[in-house]
Amino acid sequence: MPSESSSSLEDLRVLELTGGVAAGYCGKLFAEYGADVIKVEPPSGDPLRRRGPFAEERPHRETGAPWLYLGTGKRGVTLELAQPSGQRLFRRMVEEANVIVEGFPPGYLDSLGIGFEALRAIKRRIVVVSITPYGQSGPKAEWRATNLTSFASGGQMSLTGEPEREPLVNGGSQAEYQAGLQAFSAAALAAHQADTTEVPQHVDVSAQECMASALELYLPWWAYLKRDISKRRGNVMSGMVGVFPAADGHIGLHIMPRNWPWFARAMGREELIDDPKFRDNYTRLQNNDELEAIVYAWAAGQSAKELYRQAGAARAPIAFVHTMGDLLESEQLRARGYFHEVEHPLAGRQTYPGAPFRMSAVEWEPGRAPLLGEHNRAVYCEEMGLSGRELSHLRTAGVV
Amino acid sequence: MFRLPLYGLRVLDLTMAWAGPYATRLLGDMGAEVIKVEAVNNWDLLRSFTGQPPTVERVWDKSPYFNHVNRDKYGCVLDLSQEKGRALFLRLAAISDVVIENFRAEVMEKLGLTYEALSVANPQLIVVSMPGHGSSGPERDFIAYGTNVEQLSGLCHLTGYEGGPPQKTGISYGDPMAGIAAAGAIALALWDRRRSGRGQYVEVAQRENLIGMIGEQLVAYSMTGREPPRRGNRDSSMAPHGCYPCQGDDQWLTIACEDDAQFAALCRAMGRPELASDARFADVVSRYRNQDALDVLVAAWTRERPKAAAAALQAAGVPASPVLSAAEVFEDAHLRARGFYESVAHSVAGVWEVEGPHWRFSESPAHIRLAAPAFGEHNGYVFRELLGLSAEEIAELEAEGVTGSTPNWAVHE
Repeated sequence: MPSESSSSLEDLRVLELTGGVAAGYCGKLFAEYGADVIKVEPPSGDPLRRRGPFAEERPHRETGAPWLYLGTGKRGVTLELAQPSGQRLFRRMVEEANVIVEGFPPGYLDSLGIGFEALRAIKRRIVVVSITPYGQSGPKAEWRATNLTSFASGGQMSLTGEPEREPLVNGGSQAEYQAGLQAFSAAALAAHQADTTEVPQHVDVSAQECMASALELYLPWWAYLKRDISKRRGNVMSGMVGVFPAADGHIGLHIMPRNWPWFARAMGREELIDDPKFRDNYTRLQNNDELEAIVYAWAAGQSAKELYRQAGAARAPIAFVHTMGDLLESEQLRARGYFHEVEHPLAGRQTYPGAPFRMSAVEWEPGRAPLLGEHNRAVYCEEMGLSGRELSHLRTAGVV
Repeated sequence: MFRLPLYGLRVLDLTMAWAGPYATRLLGDMGAEVIKVEAVNNWDLLRSFTGQPPTVERVWDKSPYFNHVNRDKYGCVLDLSQEKGRALFLRLAAISDVVIENFRAEVMEKLGLTYEALSVANPQLIVVSMPGHGSSGPERDFIAYGTNVEQLSGLCHLTGYEGGPPQKTGISYGDPMAGIAAAGAIALALWDRRRSGRGQYVEVAQRENLIGMIGEQLVAYSMTGREPPRRGNRDSSMAPHGCYPCQGDDQWLTIACEDDAQFAALCRAMGRPELASDARFADVVSRYRNQDALDVLVAAWTRERPKAAAAALQAAGVPASPVLSAAEVFEDAHLRARGFYESVAHSVAGVWEVEGPHWRFSESPAHIRLAAPAFGEHNGYVFRELLGLSAEEIAELEAEGVTGSTPNWAVHE
């Protein structure tokens, strides 16, 4: 890959307001690819700062893992948007911004006089990205949500978990991360459009709609055939697709019809390739109970990591379930230089994930999360021209 | 109203299955001219997921899954394994903005269609690859389909019932996530191209993209040295926080209380206001410690009610949502009120309703413009109008199998 690097996104400025994990992930991606992202927090700190685990197991507003991770590469200022002087200052910041990312309840910024309609009058090409569980309109727009209830509303939860137990939420705030990733890509496109055609944009990202757009074949099957096949099926879809216990962990199979001969060989059961019970996809599904039993028995005796290496080299789609420790030790990820060490004054030096995608002409750099109000002086005084006295007035008034 | 954001952008789409096609669907939704390229002997696997007998006429044009993921695209048939096919592809690349593929790492190299070769044909071209593991490293040629990616990314390890094994998620989760990222990367590359005048190469390793979505857990592990526990539907601080059974067959309701006020509201809504001051549940720490007992009480209330009781809880100020199946998502009154579903008329498969573009831009709202392409449907547009070939030349391509209009069904049988 060519390595001619520049930070061509440095003239893209993003103001990220309170908006949970989703807005945080959206802003993080912009920041790491070189945009100037300013995280605008209330003087008491963003609610994300209260989420653990924390460095040295002691709750501290600077050292929660979600905050550290989602804050990389951003600058940070404090600003009380509920106060008129805070709104005035925010309007001035918008003059120099391209994208505003927010996750307040619909209408909240409008009620403060700093919603999309007000901001486009200040900055003609502004992009406002609003990320909410249900979108800006409709009967559920005001519904409260957490990651769990949001995940339930998007359809993916009905597909996850064991059939004899309750539906299961994905690990790790996925309703919010999905919305955040969608918001990033939509916002990047809106910023490009504003850049080329001077069209402003209010982008309405509904987490529910994002998840509904990713229901694999389950929604289409209903929409087109009126067959509802969205039943959760646990870990094992068939003897060819699923998560199976191994001797020292779990393996994951996703064997497509053309991989069958390789898979049979990987199991050391070459004779099954042409066995009339298993020789094509149809017969394998007809005799799935027998095939599943063969696979369970075989997997139980396997070392997951050893099998992964052998199968990979033999072109059989067999993975193993990586723990966090396995990821950090992965030869593949290490060979690609995926992980990064990031130094933080209070949380110390920790290992962080790397670039989600690699671009030959847009540099990616992680940076660290900002301390609370760390860039107040740089942004308000040095860039916006406030005097030291004005800043202390705002501080006394609880605005910053 | 303004033009769609990607009006005038041409995308050559070699992707198949879900990850890449999800990306190009987003691009098509937002106004790009996406041209999906398939071959008689190398066509999109999703065409084979039909839900209908193989004897149905042109069944490959009637797959609900394929047609769902490939709307807002044109389609042509061009065999890149033939010299002539590759030459025509390079001519198309010269008049396109984006080439995107999700083959295994070595496939484009073997075809001679590397970024270097493509950028000679067109220096402004943005080329996107979406391999599972990336184009380097000892596992670069390992196959990683659908559900494998979440196993290789830590998500599967994080998902599961308390005390249970790692759990498969409900969908091939890494696929659409890679698709969203690819679309975002293209937007950044367009921003860059406007300044540099040049295209670039983008690689979305599906595994690396998905690790980004569980990244806070890796930072936590780096700090504490502890593997994150599987919590089922519970949270590390909120309680109650779960999925509760309701009236009817397999009907469920999720409830999450973020603070004391929401818990008091839940107690009142359940007709048990005294629970809010019960010493076992009086504050979040007590509720967390006693959540087994608390869940029994909440479930006793939900069991007597339909999952639509979520609306009453919401009215009381409690975060709650029914667990919606895919069919219920399709029929959801809220999504319907937002105009989420639109009608599409397919040239072979008929008229259906499906969800519209979910990136909702206020000043240039997008709607579905095109149904998914029937196999080879836009050969004429591509060969005659874009490449200027004569009828004789096109007939020759057909005779040589470089193009066609009927896929070799045996490929995915």
